[in-house]
Amino acid sequence: MPDHPTSSWQAMQDGNVFYRRQQLYSIAGKLPNLDDYKIAACRYGGPLALMRDNDKLVALGRATPVFAKAQIQVYSPAGEGLLLFSWEQAKIVHFGWTGDERLVVLNDEGTYRIYDLQGEYDQYSLGSDVAEIGVEDAKIHENGLVALTNSLTFLEVKGWSGGKPLTLANPGLSQPPHSWVVIPPDLTISRHVEVLASVEGTIYSVDTLESTDQRLSRGPFTHMAPSPNGKSLALLNFSGLLLVVSTDFQRNLAEFDTSEVPGSEGQIRQVQWCGNDAILVTWDNLALMVGPFGDTLQFFYSGPTYAVTEVDGVRVVGPDVCDFIQKVPASSTSVFRPGSTSPSAILYDAWENFAKRSPKADESIRSIRPELGRAVDECIDAAGQEWEPYWQRRLLNAAKFGRSFLDLYDPTDFVNMGQALKVLNAVRDFEIGIPITYTQYVHASPTQLVARLTARNLHLLALRISTYLSLKPDHVLKHWACAKILRSKPSTTGTEFEGDNEVCKMIVDKFAKLGGGGVSYADIAKKAWEVGRTSLATKLLDYEPRASDQVPLLLSMKEDRLALTKAVDSGDPDLVYHVLLHLHKSMSLGSFFRLIEDGGERLAPASRLLQVYAREQNRDMLRDFYYSDDRRVESAVLSLEEAGSMTDPTAKINAVKAAQKFFSEDKDRGFEARMMDESARLLVAQQQLEKDADGKIPFFGLSVNKTIETCLLNGMSKKADKIKSDCKVPDKRFWYIKLHALTATRDFEGLETFAKSKRSPIGYEAFVHHLVEKGHGKEAATYVARCDASKRVDLYVECGEWRMAGKECKDRGDKARMDQLRRTCPNSLIARELEQIAASMK
Amino acid sequence: MAATPASVTEQSSGPDLENEGLLDTSVLSELAKKDLVDALNSVNGAKTLVLDPSIASPLGLVTEVSLLKHHGVDKMFWLEPGPLSATSTNIVYLCRPSIRHVKIIADHVKRHAKESAKHTYTLLLVPRTSILVERILEEEGVLGEVNISSYNLQFIPIARDVISLEYDNAFKEIWADGDESAIYESAQALLTLRKIYGPFPRIIGKGDHAAVYRALLPSSNVSPRVAALAGGDKIDSLIILDRRVDMVTPLLTQLTYEGLIDEMIGIKNSHIEVPVSLLSPPNPTPANPAAPSTSASTSAVTAVPLSKEKKKKYHLTAANDPLFGELRDMNFASVGKRLNRTAHRLDEDYKARLKAQTVTQLRDFVGKLGGLQTEHQALRLHTGLSEMIVPQTRTEIFNKSLEIQQNLLASYDVSGQISSIEDLIAQGADMQLVIRLLCLASITSGGIKTKPLENLKREILQSYGYNFLPLLLSLSAPPLAVLLPNPLPASTPPSVVASRYPYTSVRKSLRLLMEDTDALDEVENDIGYVYSGYAPISIRLVQCVAQKGGVLSNPALDKEKSADSGSGNGNASSKVQAHPIVGWKGFEDVLAAIPGETFDIFPKDYAGHEDATSPATSLLQARNQTSTTVVFFLGGCTYTEIAALRWVSRQNKGRNFLIATTGIISGNSLVDSVAGIVRGSTGSKDAGL
Repeated sequence: MPDHPTSSWQAMQDGNVFYRRQQLYSIAGKLPNLDDYKIAACRYGGPLALMRDNDKLVALGRATPVFAKAQIQVYSPAGEGLLLFSWEQAKIVHFGWTGDERLVVLNDEGTYRIYDLQGEYDQYSLGSDVAEIGVEDAKIHENGLVALTNSLTFLEVKGWSGGKPLTLANPGLSQPPHSWVVIPPDLTISRHVEVLASVEGTIYSVDTLESTDQRLSRGPFTHMAPSPNGKSLALLNFSGLLLVVSTDFQRNLAEFDTSEVPGSEGQIRQVQWCGNDAILVTWDNLALMVGPFGDTLQFFYSGPTYAVTEVDGVRVVGPDVCDFIQKVPASSTSVFRPGSTSPSAILYDAWENFAKRSPKADESIRSIRPELGRAVDECIDAAGQEWEPYWQRRLLNAAKFGRSFLDLYDPTDFVNMGQALKVLNAVRDFEIGIPITYTQYVHASPTQLVARLTARNLHLLALRISTYLSLKPDHVLKHWACAKILRSKPSTTGTEFEGDNEVCKMIVDKFAKLGGGGVSYADIAKKAWEVGRTSLATKLLDYEPRASDQVPLLLSMKEDRLALTKAVDSGDPDLVYHVLLHLHKSMSLGSFFRLIEDGGERLAPASRLLQVYAREQNRDMLRDFYYSDDRRVESAVLSLEEAGSMTDPTAKINAVKAAQKFFSEDKDRGFEARMMDESARLLVAQQQLEKDADGKIPFFGLSVNKTIETCLLNGMSKKADKIKSDCKVPDKRFWYIKLHALTATRDFEGLETFAKSKRSPIGYEAFVHHLVEKGHGKEAATYVARCDASKRVDLYVECGEWRMAGKECKDRGDKARMDQLRRTCPNSLIARELEQIAASMK
Repeated sequence: MAATPASVTEQSSGPDLENEGLLDTSVLSELAKKDLVDALNSVNGAKTLVLDPSIASPLGLVTEVSLLKHHGVDKMFWLEPGPLSATSTNIVYLCRPSIRHVKIIADHVKRHAKESAKHTYTLLLVPRTSILVERILEEEGVLGEVNISSYNLQFIPIARDVISLEYDNAFKEIWADGDESAIYESAQALLTLRKIYGPFPRIIGKGDHAAVYRALLPSSNVSPRVAALAGGDKIDSLIILDRRVDMVTPLLTQLTYEGLIDEMIGIKNSHIEVPVSLLSPPNPTPANPAAPSTSASTSAVTAVPLSKEKKKKYHLTAANDPLFGELRDMNFASVGKRLNRTAHRLDEDYKARLKAQTVTQLRDFVGKLGGLQTEHQALRLHTGLSEMIVPQTRTEIFNKSLEIQQNLLASYDVSGQISSIEDLIAQGADMQLVIRLLCLASITSGGIKTKPLENLKREILQSYGYNFLPLLLSLSAPPLAVLLPNPLPASTPPSVVASRYPYTSVRKSLRLLMEDTDALDEVENDIGYVYSGYAPISIRLVQCVAQKGGVLSNPALDKEKSADSGSGNGNASSKVQAHPIVGWKGFEDVLAAIPGETFDIFPKDYAGHEDATSPATSLLQARNQTSTTVVFFLGGCTYTEIAALRWVSRQNKGRNFLIATTGIISGNSLVDSVAGIVRGSTGSKDAGL
């Protein structure tokens, strides 16, 4: 029987609060002396990365190999070596872990690589400016990094996809800060990253907008650490005074003097948070836990340690052991605290009695009957907090026992906890080496755990866990397939073709069997292509349903035509542009055009999109494109469009003539060619007109109608006639234009002569209407007599000539109309006159 | 913000019984608002917002300036060529991913670099980022300076039952340029719709481009069941019509109130520009107190100065203007009467003051006064608008064009109409009007004889300018092909031949023209009332799916007695239960005759969940619950079509329509966009919404 849980507990604060040190793994001799190394550890029970600290002297012995180059070793918390790689580039300034357990290594030229646990990496850079200036230091948080350049400014990179660095506000430092920390964006109020830097006696807080002096006086600080929830900050100054303040520097939370701690020797190694409420200060052999009220607990180690803050505690890696120190969770305290009389403690006791077949069990249950539900819940939770399966089982049994006394109980929590513990116990195994607690597991999500297992190439376990927790196995399968491709060498015995077929079939079958519907075959195919197995890549790509994933790979595989076809089929114009622009850059213009033209109807959308793009951005290309495809009409239209934007008269005329030429080359476009010819001639004529008018009147570019109108308005009626005959303007239209123009110039005499010049092709009603519309009722009336007799009355009324209308009625003897007139007339004066006329009618 | 569920239910249980069971479209605007806030907050600190004018007004429908200010926007500018002087470090561009815009932005960045002004640029592309934009920024050499991100603005509710993507140029891009981005974006937007309201059990559609969706929709791997946030199984089908299926309707002059306002004054993103005096409350010393009762003859005089006055933007919506809600879908002929009646009622209400004797009565009256005043204000506005419209409807050209339209629709004396069009050109009618009539003639009569057509084209070019030749060419080129010679030249591509519209047979089989046009203004007994006697083909097609009886005979005619009041709020029991959706059944022949692909599919993902395939189950389902049919117009729809669909939905109980469209169009806007005429109304450099 493992030790009772309380055996690892230590009390603080009058015995109300307990902390426990749980030994996770015994790692004696597995890790080198931590004092000689720079270390970065990943949260959530993640691995440690170690690099020789070049600032420290090392005794050269048999045990210590000599490295010519920087080398980074990665160990699991159980002390197993996971990865070892050497670094060829410039000096490493900092390394750290991303949220998804990848190692980021940044050198002083601003280049950084992101390694996964298989040693594969992506490389990015902070830009050429930074490379010149150099990087002094950097801090890495889960979703980005902040670098301090040699010019003492801060640069932020968001995310791990090579985003552009963003300069933070300049704090105006004159020397590098004594120490600095970064509060990740998801923990700050502004939701943007915040840098806290210890400068002289005070601390500057720097974000994208401003740099603020927090006016502290007790600095400079050698160690700074933000709490896991970003609310508090632990500071340690040169004299060994530990301060805890809120991150907005409004409140002082605690103070503690570390200089007089008994048993402490040498320099303070680390200041780390244990959860959100206590701080662990470590020396070479001692770890001191400082509680919120200044109480302390001491933990001794046989050598240098490294502590990692976790959300619910702190992980300490010593020379012999890997420990987890945390505040004992409320539920565990409630069940196991000596002398606890909480319902959960009684329930647990009852179950123990029951197991011993003692009648006290029933008695105990009865006594907590009203609170039994809560007790069950607490036991379940306490089970989650225990490390030993033995105690987990006992607590769950107690919960199960209590549950049987409840009428209604939702067993979901119980089942989930059982499942979670099964998973946790599996990954805590020293061979896997992920010492994750239940709280961390809930915090980081099961999916993340599966992803981490996958990244360690533990596909089977990851897959089993996914299925067990009903998670989608897609990610695991994808990773597996990639690994599979890497491992399976193109078979040496058979042809490469067979080997590919086999692997492809294996992957596809596996996916079909395990329901990896959402797996992107494109990613796998990409992998295959990267390792030089093109035919396998092509085969896999055929299974990819999403064109947006297929196309980029096809392009990089130089399957241009296929890529374009797939892009067009997808219906996504952006994808088509992607292909087009890529091809335009990589191919010769001729073969580019040929590719599109040969596509015929199938690739027509691509051709049209190319035209849309080229019309705005690259007209020369468009011209070539039309020309090479014998598209006369389009060429002509293009030429016309250009003419529209030209201001230089000669160029414009030439452009129109060019259009005319293009049209004339197409036998079906005779009409258009004629029109363009006319247009060009008109433009020439307009140039002449402008010259005649000494350039005072703008003619150039007007339509035929407007040209005639402008001529008339400016008294150039001869010219107007000439334009009319040159352009064969029909009489009707010409008459309207002239009518409008003469009315506008109030040349009523001219109008009269014009009206009489010959029989109006538009009738005279139009005259009346137009004149009335322009407010010349009186002049209009003179034309009424020339209109149809039947309409005259109405027309006179329109002109406002009531008397004339009345007379007209009289002439025609239309009495009914007369009466109507009298009824509708606007005033009594006219009414009287009308009455007189009416009277004279008889 | 007031779109809490409580207020919505309150509304639907109120007087607006017809809206019962209608999908709550305010979710969409909330979504758009939230996305915008998120996008703005991703940039820290004060920022200068540079707005694409074509986005400003749609954006105005979902948010207000104060919200932007609240999220750190301290100055706004229009995205225009020329220098940009911003005070804040952060500059946020919000625009559609067009090449023109990107070039302006690149120019700004370069200028700032030259002036060594330090700015951080964020480019928010609507609705999504584009590789094209990146490429152009790269070509301009500023890609490194700009952070590109997206703001996914999709469907915007512009009325309770209408959602629009507000793409101004969707029609032109699809049918004239061949740029099918709008189709893709629409499909994405419909997917979002599906996520919010649940899956479309059946997708029915007509038109070659509408068919593109079929390929787009089921391919994505969204699990619809899980994703449904609201509404449950309320959507019974999605009907997709592409604009090419019915080119006739938008070419006609719209004759409903809202439609005419659009034709005459122009509605842009639900906003109209009206003289300030119509919007401001009446002056304390009114010069003309009897505004509603002025006769038409004087109004013609007053309308002239009105139009010269300073203009102001007004948001035309039924949400805060119930009078508009009543008027918008009426035939303009009956608007005057309604206005008159409202004026009388209002007068009565005001007179209640005189009857008030006790203090309590007086207090009641004062309580109502606010409402009366808003109503009064609305009445003033609509009377004013009507006065602006009336004189235009009396012009010779307007009436002549209506006559030509009616004759062409009836295929009466086509060559006579052609020469009438020629007369209109001579009289100096608007280019848009002439082109509309010409296209209409071509579609309804299967092409215009070569000789008169060339003559007309020549007339157009001479009268309006030779620069319209490209317009004429795009109108006659595939895929638009709405202006064709008859007979077609031998070299015509087969796609054009196939796309010729069998108008005469469609007219008969879909009963497009109504016989008894006399009583029409009164009874509004068929959807044809919106065009005074012509039923829009598009809506007839919707009826083919959702109200089969309505295609064959007037449903309203059968129960004229019950609908005598004409208020549209007739007794619910007299309404017929809507029949379940059974696809095109019964009209297959007509559909086959109309060019464009016809389809009727059950998306896989849905059929797996339920036996929606069997008509029996869907029949049972539909027995007593209200379902919504989503009608999507690819390429835009007109206000009259919306009005007609609302009418259809009033005839049956148990079915509502949610009208989705790429944008609101009118004949003029179509012609303008194909011709490439941009109507900008941006005055100042400082932007507002």
